[in-house]
Amino acid sequence: MKKRKFIFFMLLPTFLLILFIIFYPTISGVLLSFKNYSLFNFKNIEWIGFDNFKEIFSDPFYGNIIWNTVKWVVFSVFFQLILGFILALLMKEPFKGRGIYAGFVFYPWAISGFAIGLSWSWLLNGQFGVINDILMKIGFINEGINFLSDPSLAMFSVILVNVWYGIPFFAIMILASLQTVPDSLYDAAEIDGAGYFTKLFHITIPYIKPTLINTILLRTIWIMNFPDIIYGMTRGGPAGSTEILSVKMINTVFYESDYSKAAAHGVVIVSILFIYTIMYLRLTSKQEFSL
Amino acid sequence: MKKIAIITCILLFSLLLFSEDVITLNLIEAFSSPYRTPTLKNIIQIFETLNPGVKINVISPPYETAYQKINLMISTEQPLDIVEIGDWNLSALAAMGKLEDLSSYIDSWHEKDDMIEGVLEAAKTYQDIPYLLPHGVFVKALFYRPDILEKYGFKSYPKTMPEMYDTAKKLTESGKNQYGFDFRGKGYPTAFIDIVLTSFFDDIDPNNMYLTTSGEIIFEDPRAIEGLNFYVSLYKDTAPKDSINWGWDEQINAFVSGITPLLFQDPDTTGMLNEMLEPGQYKTAPIPLGVSEKIYPTFGFVGWGIPTYSEHKDLAWKFIKFVSSAEINGYWSKSYGALPILKSVYTYDSYFSSDIFEGWTKMFEDSEHYQFTQYPLDNENWGKWNEFQEKTMQQVLLGKLSVESCLKEWADFWKKAGIK
Repeated sequence: MKKRKFIFFMLLPTFLLILFIIFYPTISGVLLSFKNYSLFNFKNIEWIGFDNFKEIFSDPFYGNIIWNTVKWVVFSVFFQLILGFILALLMKEPFKGRGIYAGFVFYPWAISGFAIGLSWSWLLNGQFGVINDILMKIGFINEGINFLSDPSLAMFSVILVNVWYGIPFFAIMILASLQTVPDSLYDAAEIDGAGYFTKLFHITIPYIKPTLINTILLRTIWIMNFPDIIYGMTRGGPAGSTEILSVKMINTVFYESDYSKAAAHGVVIVSILFIYTIMYLRLTSKQEFSL
Repeated sequence: MKKIAIITCILLFSLLLFSEDVITLNLIEAFSSPYRTPTLKNIIQIFETLNPGVKINVISPPYETAYQKINLMISTEQPLDIVEIGDWNLSALAAMGKLEDLSSYIDSWHEKDDMIEGVLEAAKTYQDIPYLLPHGVFVKALFYRPDILEKYGFKSYPKTMPEMYDTAKKLTESGKNQYGFDFRGKGYPTAFIDIVLTSFFDDIDPNNMYLTTSGEIIFEDPRAIEGLNFYVSLYKDTAPKDSINWGWDEQINAFVSGITPLLFQDPDTTGMLNEMLEPGQYKTAPIPLGVSEKIYPTFGFVGWGIPTYSEHKDLAWKFIKFVSSAEINGYWSKSYGALPILKSVYTYDSYFSSDIFEGWTKMFEDSEHYQFTQYPLDNENWGKWNEFQEKTMQQVLLGKLSVESCLKEWADFWKKAGIK
């Protein structure tokens, strides 16, 4: 009994800290979404039920925002995973100057997302962007491509930059995991006559599966909550063609100063991610991989 | 060890004994920039030298998030004594009830009669009370590059909207990356859209830009269709397509590089252009007149206010009064680029009657054609409107929404917001 009490008191500070820094803001945010807390309304804050949710769901642009969010998350995660995986496989084999090379490859991860967004918005500018300039000089195009102002290219452009930004994270995680795969497994497979792809699909991927699952889960959550690049590049435009849920949330605060409505957007994001996480974990835990 | 402790105690004691009481005022600025913040700090240094015992601590949040920071700091009563307020967030801050009514301070200020007409009235946006003293005025003018216009055979700047369209169209050679007009697509393009649209009207309400003098919403008027169609043509025929996604930075870049030699902008742009272009390489002209031979600019303003909970209100006013005095206001406006708020500044400093200021001088002198009006800034949907107008306008420019449907949406928005 004494031991139990001791454990309880030892864990209590951690528990209280988590309660204070995670649960309190979350609950406070959810409660805020049911109020009318906006800049024009500081004197008359009251409980308004689901009004904020009704308003955001009746926004004629909302369906488009959800669809943009899906495209943003799915394409970003997919290409970051594939390219990060390839990069990790290449980096796994030792070669001269690997450390310096790794530094160059991983550097985008060290820069702020917003700064990346702003830099790329200039690089992709239709009139004086470096990318257009290079394409014109090599004779690939005659006139500047409007990467960010053409709605059919804008989403592609922001996803491209996000993929560029996120590859290093997947590469780091996968590379770390690849280094834990015992060489004896590959040796045994080689004796059995297994080729590169057989080893990849029957040893490497099953072995690092927990890392892959966790990294995909984490990145999906982060990317959905990651407005920095889009905000720096397009602010969600033109005409809402790159507006995702988290950008909409920021626009609600910046333009409308409506903190409760922004909180309602936040609740929608958290709810979607909550459902996604449960479904994803259920689905992935059912699959059995055997070596 | 003991010796060190004794010496430290003596030092601390003498420091307390001989140190003067220093009052620190906290000032937050909304429009921090590498060009403006150093000027503000210079002014503060002069004030501190003239007022020993007073220190001013400047808080300079990044421009993009400054309004949010100010709003949150004031709403939670963070220690602030002087706060910079723009016309677009004044009503929201005043509605909180946390801004001091400056009427009595302004009434006793001996330079108040020197203020240019209409500025103080414009600043009484919320319940007709001056919650701030403007330190700069913003009115859009036409910036142009005489060197480029000349190259294309134009001896002067365009004086009417149709003339501006023709000039811009003749300047446009997309193959050479040369365009006529510097278009604003994102980041509060409101004033730009509305100036063009209302140039087709001759009866705009001086108290509300979105109403006619007979009280009708302008977006339901057939002239609005003409105005918006003209705006779309201006974009399609004379501006880089990429400019649908341009804010201030891109606009300035295109103007400086000569890609787009015609630009509607506020006077604060002069600060940067003076640094980036040679004297005479750019000039300003009045906004071209509309088909109605009238144009309806708005008075934008920025000023200083005092939070009601400040413990040093009189001292804060002393600083505000100092910044607004003729000498300091002239220095401030010249290096920052806003229009001075005092008439005497325009006469004692020839800079304000130079080519650079020709556009504003002419507009202020011609009240028949240049009729100043106001936005419904006290309407709580104002913030929402900026995002909505930007998005729907972009849809029209991209051909995803018709001009008529767009105007209907705008009219419905303001009807719902209750401006009528």
